[in-house]
Amino acid sequence: MTDPTIKRIETVLRKPAVIFGAGAAILLLVTALLALAFPLYKPLLSSQFSFSMIVLAVMLVLILSATALCILFERKIAGFTQDRYGPNRVGFWGLLQPVADGLKFLLKEDIIPRHVDKPLFLLAPALALAASLLGFAIIPWAGQVRWPWMPPDAPPLSTQVANLNVGFLYLLAVGSLSVYGVVLAGYASNNKYAFYGGMRAAAQMISYELPLGLGLLVVLLVSGTLQLDQIVQQQAATGVWNIFLHPIAFFLVLVSALAEANRAPFDLPEAEQELVGGYHTEYSAMKFAMFFLGEYAHMITSSALIVALFFGGWHFWGLPGPENVTWWAMLIKLAVYLTKVALFIALFMLVRWTLPRFRFDQLMRVAWQSLVPIGVALLAATAALTYLGWQRNVWASLAANLLLLAVLLRSAARSKRPVTARQEDLPEIDVRPTT
Amino acid sequence: MPDTTGIHAEGGVQLLQGLAIFALAAFLMAFVVLVFGKLFRPRNPNPDKGAAYECGEAPVGPGWVQFNLRFYVVALIFLVFDVEIALFYPWAVVFGGGGAPNAGWEALHAMRAAALWDMLFFFGVIVVGFLYLWRFGYLDWVRSLGARTDEPAPTTAPIRTETVAPPLAEIIAES
Repeated sequence: MTDPTIKRIETVLRKPAVIFGAGAAILLLVTALLALAFPLYKPLLSSQFSFSMIVLAVMLVLILSATALCILFERKIAGFTQDRYGPNRVGFWGLLQPVADGLKFLLKEDIIPRHVDKPLFLLAPALALAASLLGFAIIPWAGQVRWPWMPPDAPPLSTQVANLNVGFLYLLAVGSLSVYGVVLAGYASNNKYAFYGGMRAAAQMISYELPLGLGLLVVLLVSGTLQLDQIVQQQAATGVWNIFLHPIAFFLVLVSALAEANRAPFDLPEAEQELVGGYHTEYSAMKFAMFFLGEYAHMITSSALIVALFFGGWHFWGLPGPENVTWWAMLIKLAVYLTKVALFIALFMLVRWTLPRFRFDQLMRVAWQSLVPIGVALLAATAALTYLGWQRNVWASLAANLLLLAVLLRSAARSKRPVTARQEDLPEIDVRPTT
Repeated sequence: MPDTTGIHAEGGVQLLQGLAIFALAAFLMAFVVLVFGKLFRPRNPNPDKGAAYECGEAPVGPGWVQFNLRFYVVALIFLVFDVEIALFYPWAVVFGGGGAPNAGWEALHAMRAAALWDMLFFFGVIVVGFLYLWRFGYLDWVRSLGARTDEPAPTTAPIRTETVAPPLAEIIAES
């Protein structure tokens, strides 16, 4: 193509009307196709198994496109934080940037260095992506639904891929799997940067699994069930989200989720300034992209989990509750859930572009010497509340949390240990008056 | 609250099938993308591209180097604690769920007390182990003994007080 042609295409694509018009047209086309093919898949919608499979397909496609959009969104937020525009060349407002990125990842040469452990080198990115996607199986996207053509006494369908009764344990198990992707990448690359990145990732991810588990245990004590949809229904039935009961547990889970996803301020495994790229130093083209997709998918899973556990999932006051199982209520619940997840992703991104990175010994100290003791104390307090039968009492829980917070702040104030690196570097200031 | 038992009556096998299909789909998606790209990608191998990246220098030795032993200690501590926390999950479900719903209040109270005290004892054992690790510095990433004392670290090598008779010098002096 000649240069003027490319220029003309660029100008056309940068018009908002073109982008939004094309988007609307595609949406209309998909809706029309779905409406036309409705008799074909109507029987599939009525059985739980086939409905779950449809949810699976829709969610996989949705998540993968969402991760691509997330990367654009993240760069936009980075631009906003650093007072610049962010990507704005490809399409209006940079909206076509994910497409351009995807094409570039697909078309670039995929270099496999000579001395790598090839099977593991190929397996690692696939594992990183797949392990992050697996967590989506138990997210209760929109509660339950009964289609208009189903008999009114039929059990409503659950909008989950698998309504496991060991939902929590499954999520923890799959979450632990994501360590393998990173560690294998670091090991297989036969590169010192990658190796150190992998080791760091392993130590960090297993260390932060403990506070995560403790925070989840607190929610478990409150709800008494491992099923995520039951936990959401409990919150929806009472209208009291678990965040109001246990803000400290939420904080534990949030920090651990950030660390598990290798997001800043816990992105030491891929610290550019020290380790070049960390575990993905030797990766290029599509394999590199898969690590990124995996990271963003992990972030979306964590957000969806936190929303289900602490923010009432699809519940919002004044909107259809658990007893409303019509299809339009399902759509509203889905919209509420996705909005909450999007807000959490935005929070994750803002944190990344606001906070500086930890040092490795600080990272380990935060996990082992502050988050784990807090979690242990909180768990003991919640167990005592449960014994008294007050585990769902907002005031009792809040009082316990406040008490714990007061003890923590007091001990932090009395502690002689420096908190920040700057405090460590500076000589101790003598505040006594000179006589 | 809507009835959820209908879902489980449909059978756990289907649930597992669904999960298996999901896992398969997730892995397939990863591999399809890789194989699909192979049709379009250029392939220009070059000895420099194949070398391990070390900031432009020729790589020194293999990438599998010795690493800090602290990583190993962390993994060991984690293993113990994670297994113990995994034991808490079944307890938390039963304890938080209220135990037997048909039991009388007195029996329920007794059961709860037993569950709480038993678990607190177990918890105490973990906490003692945790405090041991903390006290003896296994949770500190940097384990240098010098940083612990208030005395300044010696800046020069200690002066040798005992006189060492150099045999070679003696031999030279005698001859």
